Amino acid sequence: MKLVIDSDRCKGCNLCMLVCPYRIFKEGKEQNERGIILPELDRPERCPNCRLQKLYGRTLCGLCQMICPDQAIRWENEKENEPQKVVIEF
Amino acid sequence: MQGNTACAEGALAAGCRFFAGYPITPSTEVAEHMALKLPKAKGVFVQMEDEIASIAAVVGAAWTGARAMTATSGPGFSLMMENIGYAAMTETPCVIVNIQRGGPSTGQPTLAAQGDMLQCRFGSHGDYSIIALSPASVQEMFELTVKAFQLSEKYRVPVFLMGDEIIGHMRERLTIPDSVEVIPRKKLETGSLPFKAGDDDIPGFPTFGEGYGVHVTGLTHDERGYPAATNPPAHERLVTRLVRKVESARKEMADYRVTNPDAEQVFISYGAPTRTVHQVLHDRPKDGIGHLQLRVVWPFPEFSLAEFPDAKAFLVPEMNLGQISREIERHTDVPVLPVPKIGGDLHTPAELGKALEGSR
Amino acid sequence: MSFRDWYRVDRLPTIYCVGCGNGTVINCTLHAVDSLGWKWEDTVFVSGIGCSSRAPGYIKTDSLHTTHGRPLAFATGIKLAKPGLHVVVFTGDGDLAAIGGNHFIHACRRNVDMTVICMNNWIYGMTGGQGSPTTPRGALTTTTPYGSGEGVFDLAALAVAAGANHVARWTSYHVKELTRAIQTGLETPGFSLVEVLTQCPTAYGRRNKLREVSDTVEYLKDHAILLQKYNRLTAEGKPVPEDMFTVGEFVRRNRPAMGVPP
Repeated sequence: MKLVIDSDRCKGCNLCMLVCPYRIFKEGKEQNERGIILPELDRPERCPNCRLQKLYGRTLCGLCQMICPDQAIRWENEKENEPQKVVIEF
Repeated sequence: MQGNTACAEGALAAGCRFFAGYPITPSTEVAEHMALKLPKAKGVFVQMEDEIASIAAVVGAAWTGARAMTATSGPGFSLMMENIGYAAMTETPCVIVNIQRGGPSTGQPTLAAQGDMLQCRFGSHGDYSIIALSPASVQEMFELTVKAFQLSEKYRVPVFLMGDEIIGHMRERLTIPDSVEVIPRKKLETGSLPFKAGDDDIPGFPTFGEGYGVHVTGLTHDERGYPAATNPPAHERLVTRLVRKVESARKEMADYRVTNPDAEQVFISYGAPTRTVHQVLHDRPKDGIGHLQLRVVWPFPEFSLAEFPDAKAFLVPEMNLGQISREIERHTDVPVLPVPKIGGDLHTPAELGKALEGSR
Repeated sequence: MSFRDWYRVDRLPTIYCVGCGNGTVINCTLHAVDSLGWKWEDTVFVSGIGCSSRAPGYIKTDSLHTTHGRPLAFATGIKLAKPGLHVVVFTGDGDLAAIGGNHFIHACRRNVDMTVICMNNWIYGMTGGQGSPTTPRGALTTTTPYGSGEGVFDLAALAVAAGANHVARWTSYHVKELTRAIQTGLETPGFSLVEVLTQCPTAYGRRNKLREVSDTVEYLKDHAILLQKYNRLTAEGKPVPEDMFTVGEFVRRNRPAMGVPP
């Protein structure tokens, strides 16, 4: 699964960046057409929910989704044949 | 039976199953009787911490579908005003009994007055319209309480029963009918917008807990119920509908008694002074004095004045310094003579006789 | 079903400022409600006035957005008239403790079966940043431009003293613990208060040197001390810094409650 930030809802508060234990998020650079700087994803394949939600059948971690005041974070299945990067960390 | 007790019995007969109140002389007996009878009728009685909480609990209960009522007097009535405006804005059916006492402020807790008549109509801030009934006997305390519930359920508006300490505390015989017509609320059709109304301006009621998912707010709202506070056309549509809903139906809900319609001198009364007028008419049957007793006082039935085409003077005995007389003045060219009396004593036939002399 | 299904999606994004803690608290509440298997048809949210109280407008269930300070009284009416409904109240620090103080005391005393989520952001946010009963001493607000000179209200302590069955305090940083505390509150019959210290970067933070969204959140993270640890330290006589506040579950008991469904 992959993490998607909804650009219609995100207000650029960066709270997700503050709480993520895996440091998935980093400061964005450009404003979108609403004038908001969305956070960017830094190697999101390290997110345990992205890697393992299918395997365990429930949300793992999920702190970013819980803390986001605007419900802008969701996980989506990748489309067919979309490349997925999986990193095994020790 | 005592007037206050009759009021509580009327509420129970009309299907009231929730009462939240705070003790205040002279309306405490209503609460006490409800505390006694409601649990046996599988209803809920709760004594709240103040009058503001009482009316709040009544409105909350009304949204679950219950017929809810509270009873108070002057000082408590003033406290309730904000939430009465809330009930009017959210179109919540509820009944508020005000057994009026001498005011202003703490005033005369154990003596009667009719000083809250304009307050019940205009007490809360903003424009809105309500229904107010005025009983003049213990029988009317019963009947008009039943009527209050019927009107509030039909028009989805707070209805006031404006009694006073004399009617509330007196004891008379009354006849309790075997059954009373209980009009159910109009239900909202699933799928339609919760605050959209048809021609009668009354939307269906989306009871809590039945899957309507309605958001009820005191903010100006649109037809979906969502806040639209910064939307001038939505506010105009909403508030004019709230006022029109009640005012346009005033002929339908009017309730008044006419005696001697061809009279030239006409007493207009509501509540306790009606009894004195009855006495005067009884003592002087040949003098051709007319009498208009208003049982529904708000929305004011100005067409009832036309029942007296030959009237040369309207005399209005009130236990206040002239409140409904001002409303009457607005609607007629016939001279209106207020006969005010404050202090707690009811008008005597002699005083009304003197007023009649003065009006010739 | 996930907690995201409880939202009125047509009304998102919310009116809340960037980084407002209220959004987080709504997430946690809905997660707790959903995880208990409650159905949205049987749940009612009640709220007063303020930023916290705009929350029910974004949730799919029946909701009652009432007058300032009075949601507990309205909720008492709803719960007692129809005990089968689940009642959750969203309120704020001013709404609960200032104008609503009397209703707060009596709702705790009566132990009506409802859960109250108080979003305590130390300020009156919606109206522009006036002081509230929980504004810290010396803090700047529009009505305390020389620093607040009044004592701070401890909401949890009052609820414990007045007789609530469950009282907990967390912050909008501690999302997992908060969700669990709300869950406990929803399950406990009787009155349950979950006080949540939340960040208000726009009204409070801007005036009190906590301009960035992360500033207040870091402050909440650093100054929260678990109740058990606080008790242990004070029992041992060790000093606890003045500006730390306790978090955790203050009380969970079984006093007789009103409005519990049979």
